[in-house]
Parts: sequence; C-alpha cells; structure tokens
Amino acid sequence: MTALTATATPAGRRHPVPWRSMARATWRQQRAALITLLAVSAALALAIVAGELAIRALYARYAAGCLVPQPTDPNCGAIANTFAASTNGFTALVIALHVLPVVIGVFIGAPLISRELESGTFRFTWTQEIGRTRYVLTTVTLLAVAVAAVTCALGALLGWYAHPFDVVGDESRWQAGLFDTTALTLPAWTLFALATGTLLGTLTGRIVTAMATTAATAGGFLVAAFWTLDRHLLSLGALPARASAAVGVFVGPLNTNAGRGFGPAGSWLVRGWITGPGGRELSAAMAGAVQNRMYAAMTRAGKKAADPAAWLSAHHYALWLSYQPAGRFWYFQAIAAAVLVALAIVFALTAVWLIRRRG
Amino acid sequence: MNVIETSGLGKRYHRTWGLRDCTLSIPAGHIVALVGPNGAGKTTLLHCSVGLATPTTGRVSVLGRLAAGSLDALERVAFVAQDAPLHSHLSVAAMLDLSRDLNRRFDLCHAERRLRSLAIPLHRKVGKLSGGQHAQLALALALARHPDLLVLDEPLARLDPLARHDFLAHVMTAVAEEALSVVFSSHVISELERVADYLVVLSAGRVQMAGAIDELLARHRLLSGPAEQAGRIGELFPVVQAQNAGRRAELLVRAAGPAGPPSGWQASGVTLEELVLAYLRDPSVSALPGPSALPGPAAPPALPASTHHEVTP
Repeated sequence: MTALTATATPAGRRHPVPWRSMARATWRQQRAALITLLAVSAALALAIVAGELAIRALYARYAAGCLVPQPTDPNCGAIANTFAASTNGFTALVIALHVLPVVIGVFIGAPLISRELESGTFRFTWTQEIGRTRYVLTTVTLLAVAVAAVTCALGALLGWYAHPFDVVGDESRWQAGLFDTTALTLPAWTLFALATGTLLGTLTGRIVTAMATTAATAGGFLVAAFWTLDRHLLSLGALPARASAAVGVFVGPLNTNAGRGFGPAGSWLVRGWITGPGGRELSAAMAGAVQNRMYAAMTRAGKKAADPAAWLSAHHYALWLSYQPAGRFWYFQAIAAAVLVALAIVFALTAVWLIRRRG
Repeated sequence: MNVIETSGLGKRYHRTWGLRDCTLSIPAGHIVALVGPNGAGKTTLLHCSVGLATPTTGRVSVLGRLAAGSLDALERVAFVAQDAPLHSHLSVAAMLDLSRDLNRRFDLCHAERRLRSLAIPLHRKVGKLSGGQHAQLALALALARHPDLLVLDEPLARLDPLARHDFLAHVMTAVAEEALSVVFSSHVISELERVADYLVVLSAGRVQMAGAIDELLARHRLLSGPAEQAGRIGELFPVVQAQNAGRRAELLVRAAGPAGPPSGWQASGVTLEELVLAYLRDPSVSALPGPSALPGPAAPPALPASTHHEVTP
C-alpha cells in the first residue's frame, strides 16, 4: 500500500470526511455554475456602482441645499425632477436583482440532484465513503452559503444606490420592488429558490423538468410577493394616526411611502379612512360621499380656501391613516427573510429526506 | 465471514418484484460471479448490497454484520455500477481529486500509477475516454479506496474482447495484491471460469444455484447413453437437463461422490458454461450449497425436471 490520504480509524470511532474536502468536491462539480454566477454578480455590482456614481454629485447638492429645514437651493424641484427622470437604469437593476434568485434556483438548484439522478452518477457519489446524506447536506449547505454571500453583497450595494432615491422620494425601500432586494431579503429569496430547485430536482429526477418547475414555482412566489404578499405583511400591526389632509384626502388601501408632508417621514402608509362625528369609521360609500361634498364645497369656495383639513374638522370628520413607522423597516425585513429561509430549510431537508429513503 | 449475506431479501418496484425471497451467503476471499438472464435481479441484489436500494422484505448485510449502505459499510465496500457512471464533464485528474475528497481513505498514487500504466491521459475529459478506458478508470477509482469488498455490476457488458481481458486482468492483479473479495454480475458466461471461483446463479428474482465453482463442477456429471434408459437414470440422479440426440440421450445430472456411471453410460465432466446454461434453461431447478445454505426455497432435487426426460422414441 502506498501513502494514503488518511489512515483508517479504530472501529466505532469514525471521523467523517472533512468539510474542506467537501468544499473542494462541491467547487469541482459546481465550478462552471459558480464562476458564471460570480461573473454575472460582478457585472451587476459594476452597474450598481456606476449608477450610484452618476447620481452622487446631484444627490450631494440636493442633500446640502434641500434637505435642510430652510432649503437654500432654489432648484430643489428641478433636482427632484432630474432624480425622477434618472430612475430607468435603477429600475432595470432592481428587476435584474429580482430575477437573479430565480435564475440561481433554476441553474444551480434544479440541476443539483436531478443531474445526478438523470445521468446515473448518483450511483457513484452515493456509494462513496462520505455517504449520500452527508454528501447532499454539505453540498447544499456550501452552495447556500456561497449564493447567500454573493446576493447579500448585491442587496447591500443596491440599498446604497437606492438611498438617494428613497430620500428624494422617487422610490421607497418599502415598495414591493425594493423590499425584496435588500441585503436581507435578496439572499433569503435566493436560498428559497435554491432549495425549491433542489427539492423539485429530487422529486422529478429530470433536469429540464426540474428547471421549468423551479422557474414556475420560485418565479410564481416572487410575483405573488410583489403583487400581494408583501402588502399583507406590511399591513400587520400598522399604527393608526390622525392625518393632516394638507395635500388631499386618501381613503382605502394606500400602500405607498409617506412623502411631501403626508404621514410620518420615512414610514409606509397602509390605509386611509375617515371617521364621522361619533368617532366611527365611515364606510367606503359614505367616505366617498363626504369627499364629494368636501370637494364641491372647496370648489365653490375657490382655490384660496381649499383646505381639506379645515373643512373636515369643521364638519366633525377626521382623516386617519395607518402606517408602519420607519423604525420597523428592518423588523419587517427580518420577518420576510425568516419566513423565506424557514421555507428553504424545510424544502432542503425534505430533499435530503427523500434522498435518504430513495432506493 | 460472509461478504454478502441476505435472508429473505425481496425488493419490489411498484408492482413487480425485482428480487424475491433471496437467501444467500457469499463467503469472503472469493471472486464471485453473479449470473442470470436479464431481469433476473442481479442489479437489484447488488444495489441492495451497496445501499442504493432499500429492501422491501428481508435483510442484507455485508462484511460480517455491517448493514448494507451504512457509513461503516460504505467505508469498506467499493461499487462500480452498470456502465460505470462518472462525471463526464470532469477531467480524469479532477475525477480522481473528487474521489479523494469523497473518501478519507483514497490512494491517489495507486490510482494515478494504474492509469499511467494503462496510458490513460489524466487531462482528458472523462466523457472523451473509450469504453475500455472508462471502465478502467471506474475500476481504478474503486480500487484506490482499498476496499475489502469490490462490487461490480455488469463490468464487462460494454467492453470489446481486448478491453474485457485487460479489465479482468486488472481485477485479478488487485485480488492477488490485497485481501479483497470481489462480487461481479455478468451475463457473459464464457469468460467467468478464468476469473471467478464462486458462482451465484439468479433466475427470475431467486437464487437458483450458489457455490464454489470447483465444487459445483465436481457435483455435476454429463451422462450419455441410450435414450430409452434415460428415465431410469432420472430415478437414480436428479436430472438438471436432458437432451436427446437421435438414439442417445445426454443428461446433466447432479451426482455427488465418485460413484461410476451405470453400465452402458459414459460420464464426463461439465464445463461451467454448460452447467450455467443448463440451470438457466430451467428456472425450477436449484442447487444451493449444503453447509452454508440457509433456510430457503431449496427445491428438493428429486426428479426436478420430469418433462425433460420423457423419452419419445
């Protein structure tokens, strides 16, 4: 016998194959996918940095001249408009980061097990000394750490780029688009998609089927989050507040960032409603009628007297809104990320369980 | 020690049984050939032994009392599946490194030396190797783990005669160098005798014959004599197979001991190929080894193939 890489241990005291070996093995098998991921991420990071640098000077001027109690810059409005006009590239990047988790799920998660099952190489890997459970667990864990680290960095970069837009008021970090691409939620979505792909690959055993179903499932969840799930999450435990109606009366679901004096600064407005003289909330129909009366009265009174708040209080109505204070942002981020990561763990463990009992 | 021991082992795939009521013990220190027609359950038995398949009924253990597929068993059992699936997108060198990373006990030098002696380039992609080179690589990866038991599923099926010869030579060198037991399945019978010294015949999901090859050969005779006396011979010996050639009958019988043939009959030894083919032709006949046979469907040898020796003049 020639030199062994390790010597056998006495019976009953087995040392598992070390993590470092498994990391090397994972890298060896996933090298192409991981290099592609790194290249794509680097390109996205460059685009984010370039975008931020392009608006940096403008934002510095806005921050210095317009974000102070008595704005000194006469062009604040113009700067804000320039900001609003320069969101195109930003929006494209947000969309790209939305798609990235699904792409990772489809191209790294889905083939992970299905390729082994389809090509038959599981008969090789699962009969090596490491054993199939540890092999799959370590592979999935290492890939999860790698993709989470990359997407966390991208999410942080995007948050840095988004901050000026958030301050100026063109975009809000609470919006469904940005809410799912932060340094917390972007890696969480990625882990969710990766685990979904791994599980569907284990269930189908076919690469193409696994990729298609992963795209549909992870993409479907993401779209659902964008359209409804995030709003439901952000309405939980919203605080009510008496609102000044300086810029108008908003009744019903708001789902918008507070801005221009409406709602507490930096908060997320969930819903608006009107209470009657008894303090009771008016139904949608009654609130609509009140609004109509108010606007009619204000039109009659002329533009100078157009103060909705005064009219409402004069008629014993009050405008309310519910909101999530700015301080709760990362709290909600943590909830969303925790739910996604919990689902990812359940999916991954289900895949491992299926693999364990396969045969 | 038995390298593979099964008792009442059965494996059902959906509605069909791939293996049924298989009770078997294969002693250590042999090169065991597992033969049988396609669909006999060879792959199922081997997959159960290496932990790739979970038995539906019964038990299977390897190398003494290790549960098949357990980490302790995986450490000491190497398996090369049918068609030797390897990562075709990796280079030979990367495949070696991968195997080293998946096994604590992996003898990289051993494998590299072996591949160099076979002139298999380490930088070539696994998918670009010839069938023979591919099989040799899979074998080298398995042997570099210095297993106590090497399990090969149809290793010869896709090899040309020369590659077959080289492959078997590689196996035999390894057996000569190390205390290694080998179990391999094959439906190629002609080359078994050169390498195997123990035979297991599977048929229709059951063990039909098992034993050391020289013992099995010693316990069978080919008797030839007048066709009209064939029925009488059938009462004296269990007949495995009867063939008529004109007025002469040829009977393959199970006959222990040195007793000579009945008068008028000639006895000769059987070749392994004749023996295996005779058993495979009639799955109802079975011959299990005496002492190590476990309770099972050991069909009584008496007149097993009555239809075969109905002599029609």
